[in-house]
Amino acid sequence: MLVRTLAILFVFGIGSFTTHAKYTSTPEGLEYCTVCHGSQLKGNQNIGAPRLSDLSAWYVERQLKNFKQGIRGAHPEDKTGIEMMRMVLGLSAKQITEIADWVAQTSSDKPVSSLVGDANKGQQLYQSCAACHGANGEGNKTLGAPKLSGLNDWYIATQLNHFRLGLRGAQGSDLYGQQMKAASAVITSEQDAADLAVYVQQLK
Amino acid sequence: MLNITRRQFLSYVGAAGGSSALLKTSLALGMMPEDSYSGPVTIKPADPGNKPTALILGAGIAGLATALELEKAGYHVTMLEASFRAGGRNLTVRNGDKIDEMGNPQICQFDKQDNLFFNCGPARIPGHHRRILHYCKALNVPLQVKANSSKLAYFHDEKSLGGKPKRIIEYHTDVRGLMSELLWKSADANQFDQLLSEEDVAKLMKFSQAYGDLTENGKYIGSGRAGSTTDRMLEHPTPHAPIELKAMLDSSFWYGGLLGAEVYDWCEPLMEPIGGMDSVVKAFLRNLQTKPVLNAQVKKIFNSDQGVEVTYEQGGKLHSVKADYCFNNIPAYFMAGIENNFSATYQAGLNSIKRGHLFKIAYQMKERFWENDGIYGGISYTSEPVSQLWYPSHDIHAQKGIMLGAYVWNPKFTTMFENMSPEERLKAGAISGEKIHPGYSKYIENGISIPWARMNHQMGCGMRMSAEDFETYYHMLQKPEGRHFMIGDQISHHSGWQEGALASSEQALEQLNKLLGAKIIQGGAAHVS
Repeated sequence: MLVRTLAILFVFGIGSFTTHAKYTSTPEGLEYCTVCHGSQLKGNQNIGAPRLSDLSAWYVERQLKNFKQGIRGAHPEDKTGIEMMRMVLGLSAKQITEIADWVAQTSSDKPVSSLVGDANKGQQLYQSCAACHGANGEGNKTLGAPKLSGLNDWYIATQLNHFRLGLRGAQGSDLYGQQMKAASAVITSEQDAADLAVYVQQLK
Repeated sequence: MLNITRRQFLSYVGAAGGSSALLKTSLALGMMPEDSYSGPVTIKPADPGNKPTALILGAGIAGLATALELEKAGYHVTMLEASFRAGGRNLTVRNGDKIDEMGNPQICQFDKQDNLFFNCGPARIPGHHRRILHYCKALNVPLQVKANSSKLAYFHDEKSLGGKPKRIIEYHTDVRGLMSELLWKSADANQFDQLLSEEDVAKLMKFSQAYGDLTENGKYIGSGRAGSTTDRMLEHPTPHAPIELKAMLDSSFWYGGLLGAEVYDWCEPLMEPIGGMDSVVKAFLRNLQTKPVLNAQVKKIFNSDQGVEVTYEQGGKLHSVKADYCFNNIPAYFMAGIENNFSATYQAGLNSIKRGHLFKIAYQMKERFWENDGIYGGISYTSEPVSQLWYPSHDIHAQKGIMLGAYVWNPKFTTMFENMSPEERLKAGAISGEKIHPGYSKYIENGISIPWARMNHQMGCGMRMSAEDFETYYHMLQKPEGRHFMIGDQISHHSGWQEGALASSEQALEQLNKLLGAKIIQGGAAHVS
């Protein structure tokens, strides 16, 4: 699978259409991903498909493997997780690596906020998260903690609730998921999750 | 005492038969105008020396019809289609055809025969769907009658009558008999004195007797109208024992089942194109000057006063097309994933259209066993997850047939099927089928399933807006934003029907005419509020 990065400048007429100078073409066979995750994987809340642009390859690879092995997306109440799991089941390890590499090369505008929450409360909650995910949500590969900056606030809140309610990270074989489930015990309500998500979205 | 005004009468009819029944009754009472459809919109003809351009996004039914009408008016049309095929949800599969389900692509294994096909999306056309019938006639798509109901098919409720399937005609006859008996009793007990004269009450009792096949003294004891337990040709008919009133009331499933063939969109006779519903798509393609560009996934839509610019990706390469007008047939819930410069309100309206879930299974049956049971077309209704079984009414007495083994809208069951592998679905469908037709599984040679909410580039069927969102956004989405028009069954009151798609196209083209009119008057930049 050839991943090409094209630098294309769009010359539009008079108007203020912001567009990315960098466009990473979709490798053949992966048009499927952009149907739900959108152009340049910018995310689409209508489908419950998060923004993936510019995520770290190592994290994407780990999650795809989790989906494939039923570690993630197997819980009957995780509706979008199940949809994703079905997509990944047929992928080979090689394909997963190639997809992860491609995802890491995509780029799109940072998402706009979609949640109402208290960023100050979120900041307090985030103090215990920063140890692994970094003060600016930049992530830490050594600790296995993904970058949070650039994720959709609705997606962060959904996942926090999934950890809280046992839809994610409940399986013994899910090492990092279990760590996260334990660490996210500070989140005790949907409001907590929203507050934290609103704060994280503000991080640069 | 019952005192019924005309208005109350209409509300009773409405409650019993849904708004469609109300509409029909109102028409009969002369309260509403007749349908005045007289063909597609005539678009203001283009100046041949300066052909306007139009971009159509999505080669589904609305896109194809819009393209055809625009070409007729002299427009230069470019149609982009994300999938490998045109037609959208108008999809008929035969031997070797692909169902492009996300994560579970399937290839149809039916024998290679003309009569073995599966209409995965639309499958029937009622006589009042004038727009689709117009195109079938104008574009030479031969139709045949499709039996959408068979009174010899079954009702089956796991929780009623010990889970034994019952012939629809037996159930209908019993329900009529039992209801008529109640009516007879009410009349006999002077319940209608205020409404009717003594003479009319007598007529009402006579009517109920005739309607329900009651005895002289107003009892329902079963009826020869539902057949006989003996050979009717050689022996005196003996009616089946009727179901008890209590048993009838205990199954809520029957209430819905009763309406199976009674709703306006299913009123007999319905039609289908000979050889498969995709004849409609082929007919459009035959008549279009410009064929759709396939495998072209839209990435950006830039809408300006001068026109619309669309960027799409095909085979890893980006292409850009500019046009004076754009008609967008893409499922609205995808638009948030496509870069655009729409206003926040317009985008919010697009986001309010939600994915619908429809699931179907088709089995190739090695014998048309249902015909041996007196069933020639029509539908059996069941409380099982598969919900409905459809029997083909074309190619009667052929060796094999394609049966629809599941037709499911119930969210509990669509979720269940969507989460299964294709093999698991076929097994689950076979287990359901056994309950209605013992020995069902042994006739199955192969099968294929389609969960519309998991289909590549579609991810849904029968889109829905909440009542509140409908109020806020529907009329806004019917109008263009600048020169960008939304179309498709999603922009209609009749999502999930080709007629809804065509109505949306017609509505959008009327808006185009309005915009062109406005342009002429103002002599400058087009703007429609």
